[in-house]
Amino acid sequence: MKPIYIVLIVNLVVWAGVFALLLSLDSRIKKLEKH
Amino acid sequence: MIQRALLGIWMAAVIVGAFLIAPVAKNLGELSRIVYFHVPVAWVAVLAFLWAMVQGILLLRSNRMVNDIAAEAAARIGLSFCILATLTGMVFAKATWGAYWNWDPRETSVFVLLLIYLAYFALRTAIEDPERRARLAAAYAILAGFAVPFLVFIIPRVYFSLHPTPIISKTGKLEMDHTMLIVFLSSLAGFTGIYVWLQNLSVRAGILARRAEEESE
Repeated sequence: MKPIYIVLIVNLVVWAGVFALLLSLDSRIKKLEKH
Repeated sequence: MIQRALLGIWMAAVIVGAFLIAPVAKNLGELSRIVYFHVPVAWVAVLAFLWAMVQGILLLRSNRMVNDIAAEAAARIGLSFCILATLTGMVFAKATWGAYWNWDPRETSVFVLLLIYLAYFALRTAIEDPERRARLAAAYAILAGFAVPFLVFIIPRVYFSLHPTPIISKTGKLEMDHTMLIVFLSSLAGFTGIYVWLQNLSVRAGILARRAEEESE
């Protein structure tokens, strides 16, 4: 596999992780705001 | 929710565009792809520092504590992105100049910028009274905000620097391949969207934390 594909996959995985983290933070804050 | 899903897809497309669609720049090769991450991250840092300044002005005018929460959140995000920009810049420096740190005018001005905003947080932790802290931090954020354009845009251009020439040349002309420019501008837009989201989350979390503090007193 070409190194650029490995870097691409790593970047996509990192972004997916960051995105999931932001979504979970958002929903947790929303829950706290409702209380 | 739709906006967030769009941002997720947008940034994934930017990453694919940066590595598979955009051509590499002459002389720099594959390393030039760092521009799609390094510059937008630095852009978000500038945006956040200027937003902290705006919130500081609003706080001094209206004395609303929500402006203090927003200013602190913006400064924190700005500092984090400034550190990210420094780290990505160091990777570029090592690959092109042979050392992670060269005290180049660009690196020195970013170092000063980091110190200025670290001092902002030192100031905040040194004052206990919330109202006094908010007003002093706002005044500091305004002064620091004035320093940002000088340190980021002016000083590195006044002195000789090894840093690659800006995308917009001194004559005001865009010096970038068309495809590269589209990916670059898309990345700028995507990172700005991430900043808006982060700022929103930080302010909401800050308001909740203040409310909890007030209830416990």
